[in-house]
Amino acid sequence: MGLIAIWQVIVLTCYSMYQIMDELTIQSSLSQPVWAGLIAGLVMGDIKTGLIIGGSLQLTVLGVGTFGGASKIDANSGTVMATAFAIGAGMKPEVAVAALGVPVASLMIQTDIVARFANTFFQHRVDKMIDQENYKGIERNYLYGVLPWTLSRGIPVFLALAFGGPFVRTAVSYMNENLAWLSNGLATAGALLPAVGFAILLRYLPVKKHFPYLILGFIITALFSTVYGNIGILGTTVAGIDTKFTTKFASLPMLAIALIGFAFALLEYKRSTEKSAVVAVEKSSESEDSEEQDGEIHGDEI
Amino acid sequence: METKSKSTNKITYKLTAKDFRQINFRSLVFNQWGWNYERMQGSGYLYIMMPQLRKMYGDHTPELKSIMKMQNQFFNTSNFFNTIIQGIDLAIEEKKGVKSLETVAGIKAGLMGPFAAIGDSLFAALVPAIMGAIAANMAVNGNALGAFLWMAVDFVIMWFRWIQLKFAYKQGVNLVTSMQGQLSALTDAATLLGVYVVGALAATMVNTQVIYVAHLGKMAVNFQEQIDMIMPKLIPALIVGGIYWMLGKKHMTSTRAIFIVIIVAVALSALGILGKAV
Repeated sequence: MGLIAIWQVIVLTCYSMYQIMDELTIQSSLSQPVWAGLIAGLVMGDIKTGLIIGGSLQLTVLGVGTFGGASKIDANSGTVMATAFAIGAGMKPEVAVAALGVPVASLMIQTDIVARFANTFFQHRVDKMIDQENYKGIERNYLYGVLPWTLSRGIPVFLALAFGGPFVRTAVSYMNENLAWLSNGLATAGALLPAVGFAILLRYLPVKKHFPYLILGFIITALFSTVYGNIGILGTTVAGIDTKFTTKFASLPMLAIALIGFAFALLEYKRSTEKSAVVAVEKSSESEDSEEQDGEIHGDEI
Repeated sequence: METKSKSTNKITYKLTAKDFRQINFRSLVFNQWGWNYERMQGSGYLYIMMPQLRKMYGDHTPELKSIMKMQNQFFNTSNFFNTIIQGIDLAIEEKKGVKSLETVAGIKAGLMGPFAAIGDSLFAALVPAIMGAIAANMAVNGNALGAFLWMAVDFVIMWFRWIQLKFAYKQGVNLVTSMQGQLSALTDAATLLGVYVVGALAATMVNTQVIYVAHLGKMAVNFQEQIDMIMPKLIPALIVGGIYWMLGKKHMTSTRAIFIVIIVAVALSALGILGKAV
């Protein structure tokens, strides 16, 4: 009671139902964990915690895309619940990521499977409507697919947020008092989880082909982040000694690092288009007249 | 029924700008609503171009029924590229009518695989990876700007999804061959950026360090300090490498790997070896 207000439960449930439809259709990025963190943080009144949890889970699932309709770990719902309970029950964000976000996200794979299975029912109704030439019925039964999809996210999120509060609060207070090692361990795990995301992503990328760029990306960033980090520490220390020292040092801008990579990618793109342009010119000189002939034959037939 | 089947072999209807708008709208907003294990995007493909099929073949004709049955079969491709296939499909159907049924079925089956491969690697893996990395990196520092940046990029992608239908319709089947070179160059450059960004992320986003300090007599050896002298961020790099290796093992799924990492991290932290970096 009092952990999460009813209106918060309803808004977050509605968001969970919307996000899966967004993911299936327009993909505006609203279905991504960072947005889930931002929105859940906004609803719960602590955007920063939401962003930290959303950002961490985003990194954890960085390489997990949907391939060929396979169910993927639902980091969005995981973020919503972890953020709601972290703010509502006073959990540390890193602990919430590992203790709540990840288990919830992987449990939700099951409801995703149920939704994809349930839609088979409507597929068969569409078949029947085609036979009956009921055009409105075809469209209606196609659109009914929205029900399994939204309920697969809405029901678990609603139940957990509405009734999970007391349980989570008891667990959190017990953990903080008696199981400090577990709490610290989960915080470490939360900090470590992005590494899984990076490794999964590498599995999908042609690492061997682009290995030099993996090294470049790592070294450039490792060196700069050390330099930036140390200057930052130096600045804070000096500011602590001398009040006249007011210069603030920004942290390492990730966008700048990414832009260096973008330049590499652009060079690669130019190289390979030039290569393929040469090939295309060679090919087209042979194939152009044969294609024209082909077109004429078709024209004659009709 | 039989009287009609003779008359309408050729399509007289010409697709208009409004038709393209309708298809694009249905693709952007309603695609995959009916996704199911049996036919995946099958009914979705039919739903997206159903108004146009009805106009082209006419309601309650046997042609429309047979075309609809064909368009309702198994189909699955990248939802970023489905309208390219539909544009090519419409161009053929408009020209040849119901005679094109087998051609269209073949083209759908032939193109959905390649477009799924390119679309998934570009839009389901790379864009979320790169934009997600930037957005998440800002988010963990309490900055929401990256999330908005990502959304802006996604709206640009939506714009491409909107214009590609008419482009594919005009180009017809030739499009596939002419696009191939450019797409593979794009994929190549994008994967390069992806690999580079993962390297960069491994160096910043894995906030872990060795907290074990060995006491040899009076001398305390701080392992993390020693490691930093060899190479800063070496521990995160080793961890990512280790998980990469683990993922290559048999029966290993990403979800399993995540749980293994949680358990190992809790254990190493409890033993006082590994901790969260400040």
